[in-house]
Amino acid sequence: MTAALPVAARLQRLSRTSHVVGLAVLALAGVGAYVANQQFLRSYLVAFLFWLGLGLGSLALLMLHHLVGGRWGKATAPILAAAARTLPLLALLFVPIAVGLRQLYVWATPIVPETHHAPVHHEVYLSPAGFLTRAALYFVVWIALAALVTRLGAAVAATGDLRRARWLARVSAAGLALYVLSMSFAAFDWGMSLDPQWYSTIYGLLFIVGQGLSGLALVIVALYLLAGEAAFELADRFHDLGNLLMAFVMLWAYISFSQLIIIWSGNLPEEIPWYLHRFNHGWEVVGLILVVLHFAVPFSVLLARRIKRRGRRLAAVALFVLLMRQVDLYWIIAPVFQADAVRLHWLDPALMCGLGGLWLAVFSRALARTWSVPPPRGGNAGRHRPR
Amino acid sequence: MTNAAATHDESRPPVLAPGATYASVTEKISGLVLSRTTPRWWILAFAVAFLALQVFLVATAYLVTTGTGIWGIRIPIGWGWAIINFVWWIGIGHAGTLISAILLLFRQDWRTSINRFAEAMTLFAVSCAGVFPILHMGRPWLAYWFAPYPNSMSLWPQFRSPLIWDVFAVTTYATVSALFWYIGLIPDLATLRDRALGRATRLIFGVMALGWRGSAKHWHRYETAYLLLAGLATPLVVSVHTVVSFDFAVSIIPGWHTTIFPPYFVAGAIYAGFAMVITLMVPLRRLLKLEDLITVRHLQNMAKVMLATGLVVVYGYAMEAFMAWYSGNEYEGFMLWNRMTGPYAPYYWTLLFCNAGVPQLLWLAKVRASPWLLFGVAMFVNWGMWLERYIIVVTSLHRDYLPSAWGMYSGTLWDVATFVGTLGIFGVAMLLFVRVLPMISIFEVRTLVRKPPSTHRVQGG
Repeated sequence: MTAALPVAARLQRLSRTSHVVGLAVLALAGVGAYVANQQFLRSYLVAFLFWLGLGLGSLALLMLHHLVGGRWGKATAPILAAAARTLPLLALLFVPIAVGLRQLYVWATPIVPETHHAPVHHEVYLSPAGFLTRAALYFVVWIALAALVTRLGAAVAATGDLRRARWLARVSAAGLALYVLSMSFAAFDWGMSLDPQWYSTIYGLLFIVGQGLSGLALVIVALYLLAGEAAFELADRFHDLGNLLMAFVMLWAYISFSQLIIIWSGNLPEEIPWYLHRFNHGWEVVGLILVVLHFAVPFSVLLARRIKRRGRRLAAVALFVLLMRQVDLYWIIAPVFQADAVRLHWLDPALMCGLGGLWLAVFSRALARTWSVPPPRGGNAGRHRPR
Repeated sequence: MTNAAATHDESRPPVLAPGATYASVTEKISGLVLSRTTPRWWILAFAVAFLALQVFLVATAYLVTTGTGIWGIRIPIGWGWAIINFVWWIGIGHAGTLISAILLLFRQDWRTSINRFAEAMTLFAVSCAGVFPILHMGRPWLAYWFAPYPNSMSLWPQFRSPLIWDVFAVTTYATVSALFWYIGLIPDLATLRDRALGRATRLIFGVMALGWRGSAKHWHRYETAYLLLAGLATPLVVSVHTVVSFDFAVSIIPGWHTTIFPPYFVAGAIYAGFAMVITLMVPLRRLLKLEDLITVRHLQNMAKVMLATGLVVVYGYAMEAFMAWYSGNEYEGFMLWNRMTGPYAPYYWTLLFCNAGVPQLLWLAKVRASPWLLFGVAMFVNWGMWLERYIIVVTSLHRDYLPSAWGMYSGTLWDVATFVGTLGIFGVAMLLFVRVLPMISIFEVRTLVRKPPSTHRVQGG
């Protein structure tokens, strides 16, 4: 238990620091909201989607673990649970998007440009009232799921109650289905509807897989930092997590490439503009960066056992993947607003940091409360089975 | 927590029935092959399958001498039953590769009782699948034109066509599956060689065992080769049906051209594959008295995979339907409307009932633990997945953009005959396999003997 104290204290300190830094940066960005209102919202959306991905991806992985088990999840469940507990904060952080709806989404602007012929269905689906009601519904579902799964999980871990463990598995199974469905529609609402003419049936999965990847990368970085000197003894866990990370990197590439090749081959006027915007005016460079640095490099690096078994190296790869997640979301969202050139505004990094500060503060505080158990190294070494 | 996990594991049915020993496992499995008496049910089943095989020969002979006109295909529906069957069969194969490769990499030890059988199923299903596109060409003897080889006719495949990718995807798949299956068989073939009483039997198994003596070096090389092949086979689980989905998705036909197709097809393939494994496994474990080796635990796990992949398939249906409405695209909207209310609407609703409705029973633990209920659900899925391909192929083609080019489709007697014929190929191959080769991996199951029940699951239920 003595070893647990410094970790909790460190986490508390991190929580306080990131809280202060986050608020300070957000205050600065608040100035930006006056000076460049639209840009503020656009940068905000990307930052929000990234941090939402960490919270939701962790919740999904936690439910997956409670459903299928696996040693990778046992070591990381407290981290995943702490990240899932950030969802109430994320609901709060959604407010600026709800308020700035009309500046952000074309379909919500009162004066529809001449060129925009909204299909009849959009009047039903893409209306501010519908959008906000659905957003509220998503957050209710996610927060309820997070509360239920983390509480049940903690109870099961503490008591080993079999009946509740079975309940947890059942809740997780239903929860995963609910998450996939709600997140798909959230992706349609918050991302896809930025260009209301465009649609892609795989778009929801693109976000879901991205969130899973983000959650996994987060867990690897956090586990490495928390384990400290014990990271060396967790080589088997890091190996498992590294394999999972590689699987998610491949899945992300698979989903992204599938969408690209199908839309490219069809070359239909209602679909292809999405890629035309992202293949011109410098955006193709960002796209290439994604191909190389979001897929090829992490994939090749993660093939090596030497990387996966060393916490430090794996955490470095995971951190890099988290950076690439931001680039990916930027590439998906930003060209809608500025198809003519890639212009990184100072608000882009500022809001990413600002929201991140608040998110980290809540995350590390939640983790400080639950991380009283030292990392499960002793217990596993004896139970290790070959292959 | 460790204690809790241990008790929890004991609450689940074990992978092997208690009381199994090395000798009993070897005796049981090799006995099925080396026994001199062939069970009566086997002879009966073989007779039926063999008859169906004759139907295939007749249907194919008539087809080759007459032309594809004997099938129901006519413009606008150029694909018909042949491609439906192709997708159906190739999908079924996917469960085998998933069980043998992916579950191996995930260290799921329960797979060892069913992987050999499922891999065999994969091989035979892929063979049945391969028949259809080749026959569908009309001049099957020119099938080699698909290969990029130097020739004097300036003939070169169109590499932008997913149909060409299919050729490569399917042949790679067949090759790797065969290798994987055969390499996994070698130690068991040696066991059979050593246990065989007849001279001819010993010679045949001896040649097939490639001189296996079970030395440490042999095992070391075997393990390495097997793991490498598992790594190679893993992407194939995804790639083959992805390419099959591209056959449809890269076109611009409403109902075909949609981005969800690749993951949705892959999930559908695994779904159908597990349904077929259950369909075959439930009667076979009973007939061959293998309940101790293929336990309720296996069936339960397969049921769970079926439920999960089935939900992904339902997700695909939901996304397609939602986008057809959301896009406001006239043709997409009509496609959906036509499926739901058009001439093929009964097929559509039956498919939804079979694929999205009935399998929800698998949420109930009681259904998952009951072999024959599971068998019933799996039969619905087999049928539903065939109908799904029927709906995709036929409804999208029969009414696309131009109403003047609309038409109707129905398969002919010869379509049915060819399909029944491939069921015959499959049946004959499967029955021969369970009679002459060990349908369960002897040496892998032996590694499970006398071990405590799986400790993989350390938490959750």
